[in-house]
Amino acid sequence: MGQQANTALPGGFQIEDYTIDRQLSLGGFSIVYLARDKEGKDVALKEYLPNSLSLRGDGQTRPVIPAEHLGAFRYGMKCFFEEGRALAKLSHPNVVRVINFFRANDTVYMVMEYEQGRTLQEFIHKHLGHISERFIRGVFVRLLNGLRVVHSNKLLHLDIKPSNVYLRSDNTPVLLDFGAARQTLLSDTPMLKPMYTPGFASPEHYGERKTLGPWSDVYSVGATMYACLAGQTPQPADERLQKDQIVPAMMRWEGQLSDHLLETIDWCLNLNHLYRPQTAFALQKALAEHGAPPASADKPPIKTSWFGRLFGKSRK
Amino acid sequence: MRFTIYQESRQGGRKNNEDRLAHCYSRDALMMVIADGMGGHFYGEVAAQIAVQTMTAAFQREAQPKLEDPFWFLQKNIGNAHHAILSYCEAHKLKDSPRTTIVVCVIQDNVAYWAHAGDSRLYLIREGNVAARTRDHSQVQLMVDEGLITAEQAETHPERNKVYSCLGGTHMPEVECSRKTPLQAGDIIALCTDGIWGMLPNDILARSLQHPNLLQAVPQCMDRVEQWAGAHGDNLSMIVVRWEDTYSELTHSSVSTQTMGPNEFTTQLDEFGRNPHYKSDLSDDEIEQAIEEIRAAIDKYSFKK
Repeated sequence: MGQQANTALPGGFQIEDYTIDRQLSLGGFSIVYLARDKEGKDVALKEYLPNSLSLRGDGQTRPVIPAEHLGAFRYGMKCFFEEGRALAKLSHPNVVRVINFFRANDTVYMVMEYEQGRTLQEFIHKHLGHISERFIRGVFVRLLNGLRVVHSNKLLHLDIKPSNVYLRSDNTPVLLDFGAARQTLLSDTPMLKPMYTPGFASPEHYGERKTLGPWSDVYSVGATMYACLAGQTPQPADERLQKDQIVPAMMRWEGQLSDHLLETIDWCLNLNHLYRPQTAFALQKALAEHGAPPASADKPPIKTSWFGRLFGKSRK
Repeated sequence: MRFTIYQESRQGGRKNNEDRLAHCYSRDALMMVIADGMGGHFYGEVAAQIAVQTMTAAFQREAQPKLEDPFWFLQKNIGNAHHAILSYCEAHKLKDSPRTTIVVCVIQDNVAYWAHAGDSRLYLIREGNVAARTRDHSQVQLMVDEGLITAEQAETHPERNKVYSCLGGTHMPEVECSRKTPLQAGDIIALCTDGIWGMLPNDILARSLQHPNLLQAVPQCMDRVEQWAGAHGDNLSMIVVRWEDTYSELTHSSVSTQTMGPNEFTTQLDEFGRNPHYKSDLSDDEIEQAIEEIRAAIDKYSFKK
C-alpha cells in the first residue's frame, strides 16, 4: 500500500489561538508542530492525521478522508482521545503536560507544554561514548518517577525509546508521546496496527499482547539505557527470540561502569518477562540503591565555583 | 463489602472448650474459620488453635487486599496447618498427634469459597432455606450416601462422630473445596461445629437464623441448643455472617451462567466481514463530548496560576 505523507501546515498558519512556527516531527499517526499561543509562549501542537486513512495535499488545510476510511479515521480519533484523557489526568514533572485539546480542520489537536531542551536521542548522538553512569542513573531514576505515575493510572506507555524521552536544559527527563499508551483495562483488539518501535519494544509487543504489563515498559527502559551506552538501537526482540545476538551489558562494558548498573540493564532486557523487574518501582529502586557513582575514573569533572561550593554546603 | 457478622463459642457441659474460631477481614476479603479439636486425642484444643492461627496469619499475609486465588489459598494453607500440627507434635514428643476438624470460608467480590475437612459444617442459607452445605467426612455420612442407613438413623448412629479426614492425623487430610458461589444480598453463611448441628435439624437452624437482628438471633439459637444438650452437652461454636451485597451489582464485566436454564444458550458471533467495531462510528456529538471530558480533566488536574 503506497503511502503518501501528509503535508504539514505551513509556518504562520493560525489555528484557534495558536500560530504554527514549524514542524517538529512527523509520525504515521500525527504531526507535531512548534507553535505559539496568544501570549507568545511556545507549545507543542499535535495534529491527529493518520497517513493511511487521510491525505492532505499541498496548500490544503483539511485532510481528504475517503468515505470508506471514515469509520477507521474516527476510530483512530478515539485512540487519540484516549491519549489525551490519559495525559490530562497525569500531572507530573516527568510526564509531558497537556494544556488544551480542540477540534478544527475536520480533525483534532492536542496542545502540550514545550520546553527548551533536546531528546535523549539527540543527546546520545552528541555525547556518544561519554555518557556516564551518574547521568544514566540520574536521568532514569527520575524518568521512572514519571513512569510510576503512568502505571499507577492503569496505563502503559508501550513506546519508550530515546526519542520519546525529552531532556530539559537541566537534564530532567520528560516522558513524551503517549500515542501508543492504552488503558490496560480496555485491551480490546486495536483496529489500527499497534504501534511499537523495533529494538525498544518488548517481546510481548509482538505476540498476543496479553502479557503486556509494566514489565514491558521496563524492557523498553532497559533497551533505552542500553542504547545510551551503545549509541545504537539494540537488536529487536522478535529477532532476539529467533537468535539472540545482543551482547549483555555485563560483557560489553565490563569495567567501564559498575557491575551493578550493567546487571540492572541486563535484568531489564530478559526476554522472559517474568525475569525482569516487575514494576517501575523495582527498577527505580535498583537504580537508586547504589545511587552514588563508583569513585572510579568515569566520574565527569564537576565544575564548581566557590559560590557553588558555598551554596552547596549551606544547603546541607 | 457490607456484612453483619457474629461469632461465639461455648463450653457446653464439657470440662474444656476444644473449639476454636476466628474471622478476619481486609478491605476486600473476609475469611471465617472454625476448628473442632478432637476430644479423643490429647491436646485437641492445641490442634484447633494451631489450625485457626495458621489460617488467620496466612490470610493477613496474602489478602492484600484480596486473595489471588481463594481455592489455592484454602488448599495450601489447610495443608500448612496440618503440617504445623505435626511439627508441634514432634517438637513436644507427643505420643499421639492432636487432631482437629476445620471449615474455612472466604468471601471476596461477593463470591464465597469454602473448604473443609472433618465434620464441622458450613451452611449457606438463602431465603430461609439451606441452599448448600458441606458434606461431613464421616463414616456415617458415607453410609448414608451409599444408602446403607437413612438420614434419621444417622442422627442416632453410635459412630456418628467419627471422621475420616482431619488435620494432624497420620494421613494427609482430605480437603474438600466448594464451588465458587456468587452471593445475593441477604444470604447467610453459618459455620458451626457438631455441638450445634448435632442438636439442631437443618431447617430449624435455617429458620432461626433468618432474623433481622443477627446479633440477637445467634445467641438465642445457641441458648436453645445448650438447653437441649443438657449438662453433658458438647462444645458449641458458630460464626454467622449475613452478606449485604449482591454479586451481579459489582461485576458488570463477568458472566454468571448459574441462572441460565439447561437449554439456554448465549452466543456472540462477529458478523462476516470487517470487525463490527469499525462501524461504531464516532458521532459529532461524541467527539464534542470527548473533548469536553478531556478539557475538564485538564482543568481539574492542572494547577493554574
